[in-house]
Amino acid sequence: MTVPAEPPGDLPEAAVRRFADGAFTSGLTVPDFAACLQMGLEPVGFTQGYCVMQWQWYGMSPIGGGFGYQWGGVRGYAETFNCPHGFVSQEHRSWGQNYEQSWLEDAWASGFTTAYDRMLDEAASAGAHGIVGLVDTSAPLADMGVVEFRVQGTAVRVVDGPAPADGRPWTTYLAGQRLAKLVEAGFAPVSIAATVASVGMWANCVTQYLTEGTNSMYRAGTPGDEILQTVTAHTVARRIATERIRSQLGPDSLHGASLTTTHRDLGEGDAAIECILRGNRVRRFKDFDPMPAPRPTVRLL
Amino acid sequence: MNGPEPLGADTGADTSDPRADMRAAAAALAGQPKPAGARTTSDLSIDEELVLHSIGWEPVELVSGMSMHSVPVGVWNWGQGEIEYASAAYARSFAGAVQRLHQACTHAGGHGVVGVHVEWAVERHHIDVALVGTAVRPVGSTGLGADPVFVSDLSGRDFTLLHSAGWAPLGLAAGASFVYAPRRSVGATMKQSGQNVELTNFTEAMYAAREAAMERMQTAAIGLGGTGVVEVKVTEGPMDFAHHAVGFTAYGTVVRLLADEHRHLGARMVLPLDDPVVGFDATSLRGA
Repeated sequence: MTVPAEPPGDLPEAAVRRFADGAFTSGLTVPDFAACLQMGLEPVGFTQGYCVMQWQWYGMSPIGGGFGYQWGGVRGYAETFNCPHGFVSQEHRSWGQNYEQSWLEDAWASGFTTAYDRMLDEAASAGAHGIVGLVDTSAPLADMGVVEFRVQGTAVRVVDGPAPADGRPWTTYLAGQRLAKLVEAGFAPVSIAATVASVGMWANCVTQYLTEGTNSMYRAGTPGDEILQTVTAHTVARRIATERIRSQLGPDSLHGASLTTTHRDLGEGDAAIECILRGNRVRRFKDFDPMPAPRPTVRLL
Repeated sequence: MNGPEPLGADTGADTSDPRADMRAAAAALAGQPKPAGARTTSDLSIDEELVLHSIGWEPVELVSGMSMHSVPVGVWNWGQGEIEYASAAYARSFAGAVQRLHQACTHAGGHGVVGVHVEWAVERHHIDVALVGTAVRPVGSTGLGADPVFVSDLSGRDFTLLHSAGWAPLGLAAGASFVYAPRRSVGATMKQSGQNVELTNFTEAMYAAREAAMERMQTAAIGLGGTGVVEVKVTEGPMDFAHHAVGFTAYGTVVRLLADEHRHLGARMVLPLDDPVVGFDATSLRGA
């Protein structure tokens, strides 16, 4: 393989040289490696993409760069929860709000997409058609306020197969037998799909009392009530994530998805809810031929 | 001769050609996508999808439901008998989450939800239940089914096994009970000091919680018209924030025999001769 005069994208020149060096690298286990060869997938190289992002939970205020909620430019879901009591005191939370933290979603998408694109650049420069066995992680790095995004996988070439239409390799979290079964079932791996939905929550008085269990003292609702503002925030976070993924799918389906939701308790009923949805975008390329009902077996060992 | 002899030739009747399939898949990705077909979202594995297809079911949409109920301050530590607020909060949160999952499934055109992940937490002042699963339906069916929507934490494989044996899942049944373990009297505490004896206050509280929770789960199962509950998961013990209370929770999938009688699956016994195969573990790629 000849080394291009200019590395594509922002790929380090050393990486381009390394991929041109002949011996392939792979993150596959031996059984997965064997399954890939069986399918006519040749490993090309173990490709990675990284992106380290500065991370501000509360966003940068557009004025003065201070530490405050970034109301300017916020878009998406917002819902106000009013106090049913009327004026009680200055400390009383007379209103609460659920709001989509679009700056966090944008930062996550920016970090993830940059790392993902860098991995794709590496794979494309090595002449790969696809990337299998993808792993992506995001984790705090070095200090508070710094998050590292990592995406890695094994770039492969389809023996005697065509290159992807736009030169961008296809990608999938699957590898080995699972990928083989997916393809045999008539699905082509298009790409991975991942998104995050983040909903912040400023509790109103009722939510605060219910979350702290003090509602009976303040007569805010019946003890044991549903904490509706929090439930709404969770429900909306999941809905935003699933709707956004569906909007990315085009004519394809999402397979083998994982939906994880984390609830960051900020005290007094306030919270930040983050929902990450990821999965494999797959396209049907042949009619499904259902297999016969499988024969049950019992292992003796 | 170059290298060792190949292992025994495959004499099976497998006519699939994985290389041709992969080339066809790559060709489909090299061309323009066809207009939208039936788009689905699912958290099932490919094995589960295939096995569901083999009995004529397909995934429709990833669905979720969540509920969270408040527990008033001060109920965990002093009192007698059952901590009714906590038991009721668990029951209401479970029922609320199931109800929202039902709505999401119906909205998606599913006939039921399989592989439901049940996440629940008992906190000092609230009890949360979140359910995530894949809505499924008979292949190609449109509209709602004749039977009520079912919710099940059984995997696609277990759903297929049940189906093949003539049974059907009806829903999730749950029961929980939180009970005070009364403090011993000063006299009893002094008498038992330094001895290894049974603390009957805790044992009795445990039994009381167990009986109430299991009975609630069974009552819920009967309410759904089921004949039994499978894959029951139970937890028991104290909460880290309430040392004189014990809790018992139980949930599982309610099943009913639909066929005239149970159909024996006639499983074939096999003796695998291979070493355990190392499965694909994506996280291992990251190192330790």
